[in-house]
Amino acid sequence: MKQDCNADQNQLTGFWFVLPALLFMAAFIGYPIVYNLILSFQDVGVMTLNNPVKEWVGYRNYLQLLGDPLLKTVLANTFYYTIACIVLQFSIGFALALLFNRSFRLAKSIRSLIMIAWLMPVTITGLIFKFIFSTNGGLINEFLLGLHWLSKPIEWLLQPSTAIWALIITNTWIGIPFNMILLITGLSTIPREVYESASIDGASPWQQFIHVTAPLLKPAIEAVLILGFIYTFKVFDLVYVMTKGGPVNATEVLSTFSYRLSFTEFSFSKGAAVANILFIVLFMVSLGYLRLIREEEGM
Amino acid sequence: MKKTWVFFIGTLLLMAIVCCSGFAAAKTKMVVWTYMEGQTQIDTLNWMFKTYNESQSESEIVLQYVPFADFKKQLSVGMVAGKLPDLVVIDNPDHAAYAQMGLFADLTKYIAKWPERKAYFPGPWKSTTLNGKNYGIPFTSNCLALFYNQEMLKKAGVTPPQTWSQLRVAAKKLTSPGVFGLGMAAVKSEEGTFQYLPWLLSSGAKIDQLGSKQSIQSLTVLADLVKDGSMPKEVINWTQADVEKQFAAGKLAMMVNGPWNIPEVKRDAPGLKWSVVKIPRDKVYSSVLGGENLGVVNGKNVAAAWKFLQFVGSPKLVKEYSVRFNMFPPRQDVAGDKTWSEDPVMSVFMDQMKYAMPRGPHPKWPEISNAMITALQEVLTQAKTPEQAAKDAQTKVDAVLK
Repeated sequence: MKQDCNADQNQLTGFWFVLPALLFMAAFIGYPIVYNLILSFQDVGVMTLNNPVKEWVGYRNYLQLLGDPLLKTVLANTFYYTIACIVLQFSIGFALALLFNRSFRLAKSIRSLIMIAWLMPVTITGLIFKFIFSTNGGLINEFLLGLHWLSKPIEWLLQPSTAIWALIITNTWIGIPFNMILLITGLSTIPREVYESASIDGASPWQQFIHVTAPLLKPAIEAVLILGFIYTFKVFDLVYVMTKGGPVNATEVLSTFSYRLSFTEFSFSKGAAVANILFIVLFMVSLGYLRLIREEEGM
Repeated sequence: MKKTWVFFIGTLLLMAIVCCSGFAAAKTKMVVWTYMEGQTQIDTLNWMFKTYNESQSESEIVLQYVPFADFKKQLSVGMVAGKLPDLVVIDNPDHAAYAQMGLFADLTKYIAKWPERKAYFPGPWKSTTLNGKNYGIPFTSNCLALFYNQEMLKKAGVTPPQTWSQLRVAAKKLTSPGVFGLGMAAVKSEEGTFQYLPWLLSSGAKIDQLGSKQSIQSLTVLADLVKDGSMPKEVINWTQADVEKQFAAGKLAMMVNGPWNIPEVKRDAPGLKWSVVKIPRDKVYSSVLGGENLGVVNGKNVAAAWKFLQFVGSPKLVKEYSVRFNMFPPRQDVAGDKTWSEDPVMSVFMDQMKYAMPRGPHPKWPEISNAMITALQEVLTQAKTPEQAAKDAQTKVDAVLK
């Protein structure tokens, strides 16, 4: 009986500790999300912002967007960019993590140096890469021309097909250290004895990787992939700095498209609708991740 | 506990007394938002505000800088959040959209009694109006013309081109390794639209006829320059400042640019011999009206702000700040001054000003603008034929204007 009382007391104390954070979240995260939802079902634009009553138009904004071929392009761009980035930065990051997990001289210092890419403000990185990719006199073209691997410069940021790859390469460069560090952390938690016993059993390094490293790293890998997806999918600054969504609409992604609709064309409701589409995708991914964690904890 | 409360409330009261008494005796503080940057421009604005603040005892004007990239966003967010300045220096094509959204106060009743209104050029004046009402006054004006590198033209034996066909031949002749015949800004923003409009208007097309034969020709002439190799494809990422840098570095024989870049060229390339002519034409000479207007934000300080506008609009002041800004006065009587009419470069711009057309004014200008620059980018990158791009732009504009 007494114990019960204590447990209740504890629960209550815990609740008071959580309350400030809860209030903060509700005000600064919950409210904008709800406001954005309401906005996307109204008609708020240049002509109607001034009206005292905002007209409720139901799904009209969403239907108009779905009928717009541009939204399909934007969605395709966003997914293409995200998936390409994740595949590249994860595989390169993993390879580097395995390399730096061995102890050799300079391993620690090189590891810290690689982190610089992740720590630099994205705006700066974007500007630097904009120069690196420029057609005439850009570092990459000069290098390839100098080696005679190219006969004429590649118009990186000027062609729809290559512009998105310029962004993917830049974002991969930023994302590698993040993947590497998280995976190294995961690797360092695997006890050495497991590998020792595996090699005594005659497992080759490759078999060790497949049957020991990969399964034990599973939680870290899942976390890296999901977090990577969320970070990459909502990209804004990099695109805004390097291509502004151009040439034509080749690099327009959900976030820049939402920004453009709201703040250059003043179609606030449509901008909100695009932002909600972005939100829904990320929400689904997060839910999937939470389920994965729960299943694993339940095991 | 009680003591703490007393102390807390006491402090609040003290703060209230100090703050309020400070305001009661002082002038009304009025904030002006501007995206104008660069030392010359900020100095000019500060000089102007200081002059006004010392000339009367009613209000005090304060400058607040907001970067151009954030300007529209800050205004839109400010309208929703109720955090707005008292006056705005606004890019003239955006004036109508914000008037429609209810940002600007209707000044019609003040302006009707203001004799100076008749002295303004019709183009700039029109950009401050919407549906027959006045929402501000023109502040600065500029337009575009063709800059050319005199030495390069001499060496190639080319005279400055006057028509589109002459331009194509000249640009080709002027192109050599490392040097392009012509450069312009075709970046995906209002800047790109601004630079494309002279070509569209010269063809005889109007902004609601983007699918017309004339409009297709204006896209074709620019696409051909890129196809010939006379204009770099990079123009789709160039702002006007980038174009100026290329010209000053001797990488462009000709460029389309505005008078605010004259001091920049002089500073970046002091030894460069260059001059200016009107933009080559198809049917008619044409240019586009750029510049800023002053609008008063709807609020309690409208009357005080109007007094400040009258001060800014006086001929003496218009002349003074236009000279300092290196821009054109929006007033006809001031523009006749020899500062502009006798300077060899400025007089060309002055002549070009006659043909400068305002953008819109239309509350949905930003969307129309986007349709135009998208079409231009499509043809310059050869993603679409001029015919197809023009047709698609027409579809977009029809949807906006319906």
